[in-house]
Amino acid sequence: MKIVILGKGGQGVIFFSRIIAQAAINRGLSVCSTEIKGMAKKGGTVEIQMKIGQGMCGLVKKGSADLVILLSDDLIDYAKSFGNNVFTFKNDEIQAALEKVSMRFINTFLLGVFVKRAKFFDSEDFIKILDEENRKSFLKGYEYVQS
Amino acid sequence: MQKLYLSGNEAIAYGLIEAGIKFISGYPGTPSSEIIPTAQKIIKEKGIKAFIDWAVNEKVAYEIAYAASLCGIKAAVTMKQVGLNVAMDPFINSAYVGTDSAMVVISVDDPGPHSSQTEQDSRFFAMGAKIPVFDPSTIQEAYEFAKKAVELSEKYSIPVMLRSSTRVSHGRADVKMEQLMPLDSIKVNFKTLKDWEKKLWRYAATPRQRLMLHNKLNRIISEIESLNELKFFFNGPLLLISSGAVFSYLYELIEEYELQDKVTLAKVDMPYPLKNFDFSNFQRVITIEESTPVIELQLCTEGRRNGIVPKEGELTIEVCEDILEKIGLIKREKNFFSPPLKRPSLCPGCGHRIALYEVKRVFGKKAIYNGDIGCYTLALNFNVTDTVLCMGASISFGFGMKKAFSLAEKQQDIVAIIGDSTFFHSGIPPLIDSIHYKVPFLIVILDNKSVAMTGNQKTLSDDKSSLGEITVPICIEDVVKGIGVKFVETVDPYDFENSIKILKEAKKYLKEKAEPAVIIFRHLCINTKEGLELNPKYRVKISHELCKGCKVCLIEFECPAIEFKEEENKAKINDPLCIGCGCCIHICPKKAIVLLE
Repeated sequence: MKIVILGKGGQGVIFFSRIIAQAAINRGLSVCSTEIKGMAKKGGTVEIQMKIGQGMCGLVKKGSADLVILLSDDLIDYAKSFGNNVFTFKNDEIQAALEKVSMRFINTFLLGVFVKRAKFFDSEDFIKILDEENRKSFLKGYEYVQS
Repeated sequence: MQKLYLSGNEAIAYGLIEAGIKFISGYPGTPSSEIIPTAQKIIKEKGIKAFIDWAVNEKVAYEIAYAASLCGIKAAVTMKQVGLNVAMDPFINSAYVGTDSAMVVISVDDPGPHSSQTEQDSRFFAMGAKIPVFDPSTIQEAYEFAKKAVELSEKYSIPVMLRSSTRVSHGRADVKMEQLMPLDSIKVNFKTLKDWEKKLWRYAATPRQRLMLHNKLNRIISEIESLNELKFFFNGPLLLISSGAVFSYLYELIEEYELQDKVTLAKVDMPYPLKNFDFSNFQRVITIEESTPVIELQLCTEGRRNGIVPKEGELTIEVCEDILEKIGLIKREKNFFSPPLKRPSLCPGCGHRIALYEVKRVFGKKAIYNGDIGCYTLALNFNVTDTVLCMGASISFGFGMKKAFSLAEKQQDIVAIIGDSTFFHSGIPPLIDSIHYKVPFLIVILDNKSVAMTGNQKTLSDDKSSLGEITVPICIEDVVKGIGVKFVETVDPYDFENSIKILKEAKKYLKEKAEPAVIIFRHLCINTKEGLELNPKYRVKISHELCKGCKVCLIEFECPAIEFKEEENKAKINDPLCIGCGCCIHICPKKAIVLLE
């Protein structure tokens, strides 16, 4: 599976990629990725390309991604150059994250939303690797999405 | 056996420590900066006795580590590719003199370039110095080749280079590794070092002895060359040769387009030194490598020199596809267009921004601003940087340009802008020349007490080493005064009135005394925990009535926390991005930016 995660410095792009990678590794899958974050903290783009269970390098060719996770709406055109299956968070989901969990756990809340809605992964894979606080926040996000 | 999800740089650190490296020096530079912090973390966790820390520049780092190797302690030095230029003198010399214990040189290239000044190929410099070089294709290989480099250096007593690149160093993968059990095979351990033997014929070789050493080096290289084999994959009549990250792209493309019967892919683990191979069984032989024809020149193949491989730019997977298409192996369905991405700017609240805005306010737009390498290079965006060449060149440029204008009898204000770490790295020698020759220009030293651009490494003004040992903080003022600069002022750029006053005094001094003046703008990097905590916090608002939409705050100040609403023709604070530094209240010509109580 080929995934691209896009966003800005501080949005949790790196966090998302590491958790997804760990979940895959725990399943015995190979993971390789590439991180472009040279001057990310300066408001630049953070871009992760990742291959799970295939390939020798983390690079994902333009037009070939199975899934693009987009955390920053203004990068939509760039996101689409990797593939048509672009996952974005809805306004109400971001609002819910801000209301239901503290700042530190917004990432895991949104991760829960993502896992439920994208249907690419099993929630159990994530529950296993998150600590207690993060797991709570993850489940809140997971349950927020109407099945 | 364990499996860790590591970056290439982290994998290199694990490989080095596992192979018994006990001494690592280096200078931070993207994409090489994570090797030293990872190695520090490992020795801390495992309680390994070692010296691993940053040096003032790459030349010093190289020499420090190399000296340890001459004392029988396995050593390594890390740097980015342009850092290798700074270390070139000891690098080339050490090949002749050889090592007593392993000496591994890690140089990380940045084809693209993504965050560098050049696309230079460290393998080419290794070839020039007659130093063997490994070129890992994957993160797993970064770990394994780090160990191999130590072994090879140990076996032949010459330095060995491990060349990585952005894609390998900043890639991540699950790396299979042994449970970390660092080999303790240093020939001379820390205790028996007192028996160190003087070997003048090497350590202080005369030119005549250097000739003999060169001959010895050539014999070693011949032997390594004779043992350096290629690895072959697939079995087609067309031979593609590659190394490094590009090999992995080609491997994937051959599988994707099912070219296994059309192409043989040869992998070069060690691109220098290479012997001659008999390729007469193949119809064509083409080398695809990044970014100088190192393998191609040694093996006399097609590639860059006959225009099949582009002469500049990163060889991304897409570029590799172009190459396969050009050779006639594949036909692509469609090309994908990528929109350009926004360029980065200084962080909201960065002390550099307000400091450089103040400098511009006093010295004006006609002054020439010689910039340097660091976060403040981004002052390009708001017109306070006119030149950027390489580390330390701001001050040499200040000297050269001021002299050139005075020869032409033209009055020209010149300002050199340099960060604290870059000043220590290579700003001091040109400042010595500037004071010696009485060249009147302003040197602005931006001191944020951090090597911020590369991830906030420690600087020489710290009172502790990265491993917590007490160090002597180096005081920039003392250094500058010690050289003989008489106008030396320090100010926090957040103090707007005072900063402007000092800048005006400096301008007057330059005119009257005709000698260099130095202003140190000191404000902690707000990208550090301490810097952010200590930073003043205000609430700022842009008055809707007073804002006339002149965009001075966007064009001349360029804070990411100020955005512009085109439909209203008004500037507005982006609250989530604003850290409340309050600096922008000084810059609005209409005084529309105000503090909220």
